[in-house]
Amino acid sequence: MTPLAATVRPRVNPYLSIDALDPEAELMLLHFGPQHPSTHGVFRMDLFLDGERIVKAVPHCGYLHRAVEKLCEKLAYVQLPPIVDKNDYVAPMTNEQALVMAFEAMLKLEVPRRARWMRALFAELQRVASHLLWLGTFSLDLGGALGGGSTVFIYCFRERELVLDLFEAVTGARFHYNTHSIGGNRHDLPAGWGAKVKAALDTIEARLPEYLAMTLHNHLFEQRTRGVGVLDGELALELGVTGPNLRASGVDHDLRRDAPFHAYDEVKVNVATARGGDCYARTEVRVAELVESLRLCRALLDGMPEGPINSGKPTKLPVQTKLPAGQQYVGIETPRGELGTWVIADGSQHPYRLKLRPPSLHALSALPYLLPGQTVSDAIAILGSLDPIMGEVDR
Amino acid sequence: MTDFTHGALYGGGIITVIMTLVALALWGERKMAARMQSRLGPTLVGPFGLLQPVADVLKLLQKEDIVPDEADRVLFNLAPPLGAIGALAVAAVVPFSASIIGADLDAGVLYLLAIGALGVLPVFIAGWGSNNKFALLGAMRAIAQSVSYEVPLVLAALVPVILTGTMKVSAIVEYQAQHHWLIAWPFFLGVPAFVLFMLAMLAESNRIPFDIPEAESELVAGITTEYTGMKFALFYMAEYLHTLIASAVAAALFLGGWDGPFAPGLHWMAAKTLGLFAFVYWVRWTLLRFRSDQLMALCWRWLVPTGVALVLGAALWVVFVG
Amino acid sequence: MAMSPQRTVDTGANFRHPLYQVLLETPGLTVGTAALDDLLTWGLTNAMWIFPMATSCCGIEFMATAASRVDIDRMGVIVRATPRQADVMVVAGTITTKMAPRVLKLWEQMPEPKWCVAMGSCAISGDFYRNLYSVVPGVDTFMPVDVYVPGCPPNPEALMHGMLRLQEKIQRQRRGEVVVPEVNPGLMKVTQPSVPRLTEPTRSPEQTLAQERASDNPTADEESAPLEVAAGPAPQVAPLVGGDFAALLAELGVTELPADGPPVIPLAQHLELARRLKALGYRQLVTMVATHWLAGKGRKGADPAEPEHFELTTAVRTIGPGSKVAAWSVRLAPDEPVLTLSGVFAGADWQEREQFDLLGVRFAGHPDLRRLMQTENATTFPLRRDFPADAPAPPWR
Repeated sequence: MTPLAATVRPRVNPYLSIDALDPEAELMLLHFGPQHPSTHGVFRMDLFLDGERIVKAVPHCGYLHRAVEKLCEKLAYVQLPPIVDKNDYVAPMTNEQALVMAFEAMLKLEVPRRARWMRALFAELQRVASHLLWLGTFSLDLGGALGGGSTVFIYCFRERELVLDLFEAVTGARFHYNTHSIGGNRHDLPAGWGAKVKAALDTIEARLPEYLAMTLHNHLFEQRTRGVGVLDGELALELGVTGPNLRASGVDHDLRRDAPFHAYDEVKVNVATARGGDCYARTEVRVAELVESLRLCRALLDGMPEGPINSGKPTKLPVQTKLPAGQQYVGIETPRGELGTWVIADGSQHPYRLKLRPPSLHALSALPYLLPGQTVSDAIAILGSLDPIMGEVDR
Repeated sequence: MTDFTHGALYGGGIITVIMTLVALALWGERKMAARMQSRLGPTLVGPFGLLQPVADVLKLLQKEDIVPDEADRVLFNLAPPLGAIGALAVAAVVPFSASIIGADLDAGVLYLLAIGALGVLPVFIAGWGSNNKFALLGAMRAIAQSVSYEVPLVLAALVPVILTGTMKVSAIVEYQAQHHWLIAWPFFLGVPAFVLFMLAMLAESNRIPFDIPEAESELVAGITTEYTGMKFALFYMAEYLHTLIASAVAAALFLGGWDGPFAPGLHWMAAKTLGLFAFVYWVRWTLLRFRSDQLMALCWRWLVPTGVALVLGAALWVVFVG
Repeated sequence: MAMSPQRTVDTGANFRHPLYQVLLETPGLTVGTAALDDLLTWGLTNAMWIFPMATSCCGIEFMATAASRVDIDRMGVIVRATPRQADVMVVAGTITTKMAPRVLKLWEQMPEPKWCVAMGSCAISGDFYRNLYSVVPGVDTFMPVDVYVPGCPPNPEALMHGMLRLQEKIQRQRRGEVVVPEVNPGLMKVTQPSVPRLTEPTRSPEQTLAQERASDNPTADEESAPLEVAAGPAPQVAPLVGGDFAALLAELGVTELPADGPPVIPLAQHLELARRLKALGYRQLVTMVATHWLAGKGRKGADPAEPEHFELTTAVRTIGPGSKVAAWSVRLAPDEPVLTLSGVFAGADWQEREQFDLLGVRFAGHPDLRRLMQTENATTFPLRRDFPADAPAPPWR
């Protein structure tokens, strides 16, 4: 059994009845969202405030419920990758990967080695882009749109554009790539792409210390994040919180190492953990992952094997691809944690039921436990530090 | 010409100059922020985007004026002009050069501290009158902050008063011109007092890292959440006015005001004021913001004791040395 | 507070501030009217402040537009977080029926003159979500749109172009020209929404009124109580034992492990198995999936003997190297409640709420069984297989 965070903290009761707490209490109910500059999309928290202190928090999601799972039941299997792209719109490729991997497992398709390496490389580049965007938006939450936060935000976006350019060179799209197909990849790496990637990675690596000076190593940042929103490791596991949020709570668990997929059985990943469980620890873990991803990208590029990028199956009319009746679950490690696809097939051309396991939904379910006792300012920091993407929360 | 007309013309002139400066400062801040963020900032509106503030004001002038149904009409409409007037009123005692000064009061420092303290009133009126939860939270934070930071501000301003032995702002500048700038000697009193004054001033005028009453990532737009058009413009302008005039006060009290070699006094005063102003915005676009309780802790645990020590030090200095 | 239907169709282009009226009617100023008008239009078009209605993917590209590569600040555009100080609402992303009342409310809160830019194909027409139960087929079915920026998502350059086109449109409108949208009739037919657009002649005032009322009323999900569910039997507390998953299943009487999916265990053992698995090291909740099998269908394929039923599958995971997933299913008759797992895995709370919301599976003993995704006054369970994929939900669809 893996060691957990040093202390198990008393757990907050998320179902606290306000009337039972104190009938005389003059609490202010603040509807925070669904449209608010810091809700990272459309998300609502009902905060019961005693002054500035939160007594109870009730999160509401579903404002971006686009019925993707229903839509998937109507469409053919090969039509699905561009649909799920839109779920986690900060790292779209990982959505496709989780989906096609589930289909490949059902079809027992062997994916060529080059395709697997390419997928791993794409996944790592997405992690770089996603963590950069997160660092930017988190600073925006802490520092405001008219202040130092926006400076970090714009710096991070500048670097993210470099990564997007790389993807554009491969797939022709800035995001929503539709580059993974059942059995392999659709677009091969263009000539000279590797050199561009390395140049971009070098630029990012060179500029990173500057951003860290404005965030992680900044006294103000530390003041705002240390000890704020401490998530206990055991609770995180129960809630199904995964990814950097879980690792920041001292749980050493990363699917890239623990249940390898893509090329991660050949390229070893150093898993970053932190013990604090607070917003600062979550930042530490993400920054460490960012640096590790830069290393992995280089390793994957250097070791990129030659060969086909697609198994070439199914051959005739891909639209008529049928999955045998049965069920399959595949979970992969995305920048936000375990993104899973549960596909239930009945032997036809369409999935009978498709359930996507969004890491952000599980991360948000920690909010009722994290917010009580903190202030409104902390609520922003906590929500931001969980890195929720509403597209995949609500689907 | 009667005293009144003379005063009105004189004051009007000063106000016009200050307002022009504010417009330029708005543009300057946007450009500076943009360059710090590896952007260009306004470029398409006029040469170098210089006409951007003009376009902003023209636009705000044409916007519909909304008073929310549930708002307190009187208070809601009273707050914006009060804010602008309060910020302008401080300018009356600031010596822009040896001769240009609105009203050279004997108790100038007392006046500017008193009027400066009134600045919290329109903020609270706006927050309460809007009948908006975000605005109310912003107003609550503003009051706590302003009342707390008033103390270190006063203590810091007392240091030059004690050292020069006068409360007349022009006399303080005069003293510095004849002897030395207070920040230069005694520097162990002048420098900390200047830093303290700048910090308290940042907090008083709600600038980052002390801008929690507005905190647009938390409170949408804080106290101005419900304000539209020109009323919002007044708030916006008051904010810049406040910073600009506070910079001028800091320059006068610690940096020798209009005193300086080679150039006329007015140039020196303008250079010092704009330098401090740019510094404030440099800080703004670099730092994140505090949380309200941390802000209070900083004030009462560090700034107030430092201020008291500085005042004592200044008194001892005057008694034993100067 | 219902507005007249005409109010909403008015794009705000004809709005004149009272001050502006006074200026125009002052005798001495009439000579310079044209110049003054030009000046005011110049001000209006060069300081367009955006209120970002950024809901999804397009919101990221919207942020990229403000970042250094495109830098929309060059043309004087800044982003305001409050609708009261904005001139242009950029709808960037999908608008759902749950969000639509809020969008309309925020639009009404913006001061005149105001404009709307629909960014991305979801905001324009609903894109491929168009016919689904929860998505509004384009924002122009409930509020006026001035500029459409197509793309999925549009590049930042495209949004900048859209803002430039908006400037052009304002200038032409203020000169008194009638700006007719350039529409492709074929495209309009393809993207025909289930509700007539505001600009279409078939649009009825009642429709507009219903939408405005829906946005003015406090929405049902702001004030509602948890749904009443009959409490199940109290969970049995048994000693926790170790062992592996297969042995554990054998202990519960399940010997064969099917190849076509997770093992089906007796309903009564659901909670017990979860507790034991947790003690065994399966400490992380992965997910819960409910499936609706129509009569004549089952996990083995078509089977005429199968009645309509639900299958609830729960997956849990071990932590650390060699991480394994253990999953099991329980079979439920329609309306048969199953004990909640939220006492064992806190995360089961939201997972069960989601399955309840979308499929109508009942969880006995759940502390807070409310809908998660749909509005709380919703009456349907859309992920049931007999629910049509294009069911309209008035007044938005």
